[in-house]
Amino acid sequence: MTTKTIKVEYLARVEGEGALDLHIEGGQVTSANLRIFEPPRFYEAFLQGRSHIELPDIVARICGICPVAYQMSSVQAVENAFGVRVEGQLRALRRLLYCGEWIESHALHVVMLHAPDFLGYPDAIRMAEKHGDIVRKGLALKKAGNAILRLLGGREIHPVNVRPGGFYKVPTKAELVPLAEELKAARDMAVDLVRWVATFDFPDLERDYEFVAMRHPDEYAITEGRLISNRDIDIDISDYETEFEERHVAHSTALHSLVKRRGAYLVGPLARYALNYDRLPASIQSLAREGGLGPVCRNPFHSIVVRALETVFACEEALRLIAAYEVPEAASIPLEPRAGTGFGCTEAPRGICWHRYEFEADGTIRKARIVPPTSQNQPCIEEDLAAVAAPIASEPDDVIRHLCEQSIRNYDPCISCSTHFLKLSVHRS
Amino acid sequence: MTGAARRVLVLCIGNPDRGDDGAGPAVAKALAGALPPDATLMTRSGDMLAMIEDWDGFDALVCVDAAAGGSEPGRIHRIDLAEEELPRDMAFLSSHAFGLGEGIALARTLGLAPPVIIVFAIEGLCFDGGTQMSPPIAAAVAPVAGQIIAEVARLQEREHHA
Repeated sequence: MTTKTIKVEYLARVEGEGALDLHIEGGQVTSANLRIFEPPRFYEAFLQGRSHIELPDIVARICGICPVAYQMSSVQAVENAFGVRVEGQLRALRRLLYCGEWIESHALHVVMLHAPDFLGYPDAIRMAEKHGDIVRKGLALKKAGNAILRLLGGREIHPVNVRPGGFYKVPTKAELVPLAEELKAARDMAVDLVRWVATFDFPDLERDYEFVAMRHPDEYAITEGRLISNRDIDIDISDYETEFEERHVAHSTALHSLVKRRGAYLVGPLARYALNYDRLPASIQSLAREGGLGPVCRNPFHSIVVRALETVFACEEALRLIAAYEVPEAASIPLEPRAGTGFGCTEAPRGICWHRYEFEADGTIRKARIVPPTSQNQPCIEEDLAAVAAPIASEPDDVIRHLCEQSIRNYDPCISCSTHFLKLSVHRS
Repeated sequence: MTGAARRVLVLCIGNPDRGDDGAGPAVAKALAGALPPDATLMTRSGDMLAMIEDWDGFDALVCVDAAAGGSEPGRIHRIDLAEEELPRDMAFLSSHAFGLGEGIALARTLGLAPPVIIVFAIEGLCFDGGTQMSPPIAAAVAPVAGQIIAEVARLQEREHHA
């Protein structure tokens, strides 16, 4: 038998560096390995011995796109360990900050990184020649998300205003007024975005995913909730390690996460949507139907529609939170450090971001464990790739390459978070 | 033409915590207080998509950034984008897929780019996190600042006589 290799030296429009090896033997896909070779950054190690106060500012550096996710999960863990809960307007401000991150991250991915795949453009710059209006809307949406981060977080990238117990400074009502105006316009643009992406041609693929997401009794979960799946998982976030495990695999510097009893699972927009459809406002459900989505979506290529839908939701939710805002009495609640273990889990744009910390009596971090969303999705990405490539294994390499790259971008993977460019090799024999 | 002063933005790009990528911010420090009052000086650390908004409303953009892939660390390139493209064999480092070249190309496609764009590129050597600027790059900071002051004066003068 002959061996054939297809290489994409650098898969653009993903965050981080990695490669994909696809092996095809006798017309059958025998393996699909997402190889992440970016060196680990040892965040969990160098957090040891640092103060809980420093924690949110250190973990924010894990990612320039989703720093809020790391900040929110970490402060929640601190508060969990020290026995306090952040409620009321401080909680609402955290949710508002998170909405900002969803808006900027989703808009960037949907318009600038993923849409070109569906329309046959090599990048957003070429796409802008024909679709300048939508690219402008994407940039304006990202700007609106960034405006929330700038006001509540102090700056767009790696915000500096989050602390255990709340914030260092909270906004006045007047400061939120211009933000609301920008978000109203952003909401309309996001609705246009849903309608636009819904017109794309989507490859046929239905996958029987185990969806894993957070679930809250009253809200579309972002900052808190139980961990549930569409199989039988319904646990407190502190029980994550009883149901899930991380494994070293030879081809990746990022750990692979699995449901112990079953295997691969999916986190992120498709999982959140499927498990929390009933928590979405009627306006969003209606828009979902208009976009051709049922209450559950198992086609990974439809993730771009769900991501656009979540962008509308985040704009509406941000507007709701701003309308209900009253300046809290204090920017943060007091914390008394104590020895113990704390857990935090929130819905990053790409899926659940789970943290566990052990603290000394003075609040010094003794041990840290951080499970980012992309590392959890790795096994699922590999299964998707095998499923996508199988029916087209005899097609020309370029066809396989394009669809595999598009499949990877369905996940908006943040390889930097999970441990930068992706190289795709197809080996045929 | 009205003869009104041309609105010039000097944009210094880079991350001072990543070795030679700190060249842009170092040039900004050298330029502080040295530019005409009607010229705007900005420092940005790398979100190119956000930077496109910074250019809005300016008649001319002068960018300074470190570049990788050259063969002579510290060498200064002046690139007038009306006359030539950014060299493809040099990487203007930026996080998250959008570098200076992509940012300018996108802004031009969308009609958001200032009509005049001059890029000063300083060839870098080491972009590792937590490192200092290499001596040849640090030595290029003052000369680049001097060239930019002259460039801004020339741009404003050009408008004045236009």
